[in-house]
Amino acid sequence: MWNWEYAIKILPEILKALKITISATFVAFVVALVVGLMLTLARRSNFKPLSLFAGGFVGFVRSTPLLVQLYFIFYVLPEYGLSLTPFVAGVIGLGLHYSTYLAEVYRGGIESIPPGQWEAAKALNFSTLNTWKKIILPQSIPPVIPVMGNYLITMFKETPILSAITLVEIMQTAKMLGSHSFRYLEAFTIVGVLFLVLSYSSSLMVRRLEVRLNLR
Amino acid sequence: MSVPLKLIYNEDPTKNIGSEVRKNIVRPIVTYNNISKSYGDLQVLKNIDLEIAPGEKVALIGPSGSGKTTLARLLMTLEEPTSGTIEVEGEMLWHQRVNDKLIKANEKHLHQVRGNIGMVFQHFNLFPHMTILRNVMEAPRNVLGLSKDEAKERAVKMLEQVGLSSKIDAYPAQLSGGQKQRVAIARALVMRPKVMLFDEPTSALDPELVGEVLEVIKAIASEGEMAMLLITHEMDFAKDVADRILFFDQGKIIEQGPPKKIFNNPESERLQTFLSRFNRH
Repeated sequence: MWNWEYAIKILPEILKALKITISATFVAFVVALVVGLMLTLARRSNFKPLSLFAGGFVGFVRSTPLLVQLYFIFYVLPEYGLSLTPFVAGVIGLGLHYSTYLAEVYRGGIESIPPGQWEAAKALNFSTLNTWKKIILPQSIPPVIPVMGNYLITMFKETPILSAITLVEIMQTAKMLGSHSFRYLEAFTIVGVLFLVLSYSSSLMVRRLEVRLNLR
Repeated sequence: MSVPLKLIYNEDPTKNIGSEVRKNIVRPIVTYNNISKSYGDLQVLKNIDLEIAPGEKVALIGPSGSGKTTLARLLMTLEEPTSGTIEVEGEMLWHQRVNDKLIKANEKHLHQVRGNIGMVFQHFNLFPHMTILRNVMEAPRNVLGLSKDEAKERAVKMLEQVGLSSKIDAYPAQLSGGQKQRVAIARALVMRPKVMLFDEPTSALDPELVGEVLEVIKAIASEGEMAMLLITHEMDFAKDVADRILFFDQGKIIEQGPPKKIFNNPESERLQTFLSRFNRH
């Protein structure tokens, strides 16, 4: 049966772990944003080895499970001298995995730019770097911000998988609390409700953002 | 790549140039040498030779799909010629000479030569995420490396010249087509190119907006120093502005000469047909 007293007692500890969950989400998201952009640009490069590598990387990461990638980063790399904390391994794994999806998002944004914009940039003699910085990216990113927001929410909901590499985020905390007291109902219910509240409110924000961007 | 290095001034260098300009000529600002362009099996330009004098206004007329636009796009480096060479002020555009051999130019070389050329597009191609002022000052700032104040001053002056100084804080979406095209002209002019390409600058405009754009172009043309290549279907405008008219058909220059001769005494049958079709519509 549900025990309010116990639920209130464990809440602070779960909320503390929520901080880890949220920071892991955001750091991984930043990794995904940066690496995703680099992958997109690399795939468009005229330098064949680079574009082939980027294409291969995307295919490889997408066709293997995130859990396997995380285990590899956390348990296999130390054998080759690269030991990472659970947090660092977790955000790298999650970030790299989602970078391949964000690369697709960037690509969509970039391909929606009419050829005339590239031609105007060239006619004004913009360098390649300035063409991207001043003309192409400022136009291709705003329309895809809502899609990026949805990936942020998806990544947030994926973070419990990081408990598999011993990161003490809220899922792991709930498990530990449960095994301590043999009460699982309260801990997992709180975890579920927290995910629900945060994901749902974020998705409402994304939707409002979408409307605002469309109005512009 | 084997491009013959036979050059240009072996005969009369001014043979393709209108007589009024001929006497002032130093050397051509633009030279097309035996230029061809194909897309697969479709040859859109066939062995074009053309010289444009500094300050000369050349109008290209002819049916759609005759290769006029491609000729301009090759010079703007938006497309690469299949064979032949283009020179700007005596310097190869698409090629570099290394040990007496022609090799394909790298981006650095293209960047350097391209700075002499400006282009106005049929569909304006303004940057929709920037204000009018930023549309015009961004290239002086980032490409020419002017300070923010210098770039702004130049841009504002240019926008005054096209009659849009009241719109500097507006976004392109808030302007009419004619105003957009005037901004696009200011944006190209602010870079002070030696050659300006106008690719059907009024074809995408509502008829009542054509006049204001043509007026602006005429005013610029009357200032003189800049060479202009005008691709247009506005025959009266071509007659007014151009020193020389080229009639294109099926990838070739069929006939050329001063406007009076082209419009009053067309020699070739194709030009006669083309002009008569125009007069009827």
